[in-house]
Amino acid sequence: MIYFLKKFSLILLTFILVFTLLSGVVLAQEKVIKIGTLFPLTGSCALAGSRCKAAVETAVEVINNAHPECDVPLAAQEGILGGYKIVLVHADHQGKPDIAKTEAERLFNQEKVYAIVGCYNSACTNPASFVAERQGKIFMCGCSSSAALTERGLKYFFRMAPTDKTESIEFCDVMEWMNEVKGTNLHTIGIIYENTEFGKHAADEGKLAAAEAGFEVIADVPFSPGATNMNSEVQTLKAKNPDVVFGACLGGDYTLWVRTMKQMDWLPKMCLNYCTGYQDPVIAQQLGDDGNYFMGGTGYSPEFADLMPAVAAVENIYKTKIGPSVPFDSDSIQEAVATFILAQAIEKAGTLDYDKVSETLYANEWDSPLSMGGKVAFVPGGQNAKAMSMMTQLQGGEYKRVYPPELATHDIIFPMIPWNQR
Amino acid sequence: MSMFFQVTIDGLLTGMIYALVASGLSLIWGVMDVLNFAHGEYLMVGMYVSYWLGFLMNIDPLISWIASGAFCFILGILTYKLIIRHCLAGPPLSALLATFGLSMMLKNIALNRFSPNFRILTGTFLDGKKIIIGNIVLPMPQLVTSIFALVVVFIIYYIIKRTRLGWAIQATAMDKEAAELMGIKTESIFVLVFGLGGLCVGIAGGLLPSYLAVHPEVGGLFGLIAFVCVAMGGFGSIPGALLAALLIGLVEALGGFYIAPVFKYVVVFGLYLLIVMIRPKGLFGW
Repeated sequence: MIYFLKKFSLILLTFILVFTLLSGVVLAQEKVIKIGTLFPLTGSCALAGSRCKAAVETAVEVINNAHPECDVPLAAQEGILGGYKIVLVHADHQGKPDIAKTEAERLFNQEKVYAIVGCYNSACTNPASFVAERQGKIFMCGCSSSAALTERGLKYFFRMAPTDKTESIEFCDVMEWMNEVKGTNLHTIGIIYENTEFGKHAADEGKLAAAEAGFEVIADVPFSPGATNMNSEVQTLKAKNPDVVFGACLGGDYTLWVRTMKQMDWLPKMCLNYCTGYQDPVIAQQLGDDGNYFMGGTGYSPEFADLMPAVAAVENIYKTKIGPSVPFDSDSIQEAVATFILAQAIEKAGTLDYDKVSETLYANEWDSPLSMGGKVAFVPGGQNAKAMSMMTQLQGGEYKRVYPPELATHDIIFPMIPWNQR
Repeated sequence: MSMFFQVTIDGLLTGMIYALVASGLSLIWGVMDVLNFAHGEYLMVGMYVSYWLGFLMNIDPLISWIASGAFCFILGILTYKLIIRHCLAGPPLSALLATFGLSMMLKNIALNRFSPNFRILTGTFLDGKKIIIGNIVLPMPQLVTSIFALVVVFIIYYIIKRTRLGWAIQATAMDKEAAELMGIKTESIFVLVFGLGGLCVGIAGGLLPSYLAVHPEVGGLFGLIAFVCVAMGGFGSIPGALLAALLIGLVEALGGFYIAPVFKYVVVFGLYLLIVMIRPKGLFGW
């Protein structure tokens, strides 16, 4: 019996060995391009991170398989470069820059990915993209909005979304327009922001834009993300009582901030949010009526369907990955754009050579039906010069277009409706 | 001046919640010398129980704290029976590391089952209600939760100090062998103490969704602050944990308002270091 078992084990081991070797040969012959995704899949921004990941998966689904129903580049064919399929390798940076750097190194060195798409948090995108640059590999950034990211002069870094600099200027434009057209007499600003690279940079840009537009910043309120409460933060704002608040609070902190303002029974006249929890449709849904009348720059919302008709078909695929009631949002859609643009550039360059793909990315203006402007074009540093967003206000739980006036569908509800009158 | 009173009250209300979370931790340490690293995750579990009862069955946190408390009481008992009891026979660090593993497991189960979504209970009985005295605003969800927390801490303290059960717990904490010679079933006391630890944090978790969002990471900082309360108050001392929690709530609020919000935890941990330097065993340590 023991002899039989030994013999059986030997035969089994031989089979496993042969099978493993053969499958290795088959895999090696497969035409595959590995792309890494690096998002916060745990931690306070995990909700947004999981949607960004699903958006990249959606883009890859469209690129790898024929999807004639989608009116986006590469949808009609299967794969790129004559049959290469993209395979994703996912990684989680937990919202921590040190982990982002380590995971970027792991993706490049161990997983041997061709490029990385990420990282949502600007603080994480910064070190992770340096890893890519050092290795001469491409880093596609969808929605990290810190303007500093594209001011580093990197050669292999490309960002799709508008920056917090653009948003800050847009916020001041809205205030000026309100003062001119509606006679609102807005003058003072409070800025509340998480104490990270993203938040600090957004606040700096906010202060700069406010100074240039002649507004006065009277409350500067940084906070530690992931706190148990935001009482001191809101009390500080309440004590200064600015006309307008610029907010840079991501994920759960945005929820906590809004709920704390309700508890403290205080609201500014107008509240303008950078690319943060405001743009997250799930958070908006969870906040219900409490989330209404806040405003922010928005790159996409289902209410923009008439402006971006190509999104609907792609969004249907996205919903199969994330949930039937979750549409694209401003952030996740940019990650899909980043993936599409990378695939288009590889296809156009006709090679996987990093320098040639990078040069191709810079040299062309790309069709991007998932972007608000419909085009993507990069300027030195990697910023998408065609990036656009428009100002929305949550009214009845929906993102209504309120600025610029030529694209607006609704009036701005001003001032924000007090908590006790909702 | 009214802002000073407002911030002070905010701090005290926050401190009362910290006290309830910390009292369970203090109790477990005091009796068993075991630091429960999964304490913050117990809070998260309690919050989820309350949230789902509210979301699916429309049960208000004012009632569902009973279910959260009971659930975490059982979770505490199971933790002891299935994990801690076996670890106590091993090196001292094994129980601590086991609870660390448990915290990771609970957090990841929550992530897997409930996703990282932030879940908010809206339309609760206390939602949006507040008491306004002059310029001072007292939000009812926080006020009721905090007062409730204080009452539970006092009840636990009363049980420990004034009942036969409490005396048995104290005897077990002082000298396990001597307590056994006196006929106290120390094993049952350990089970009960772990259950009571879970009960305290479960009640806090049951009430918090009336104003806080629930998500898998919510227990992390609460757990850390509970550790600081226990260490600052003196390991094993419930009055110490209460005083430390109120102090932490106060310095967090006042430091956050008068220095800068971003420094509020710097002030908290700075105070902790100062107290530990002056009294290494904590305020009420012995």
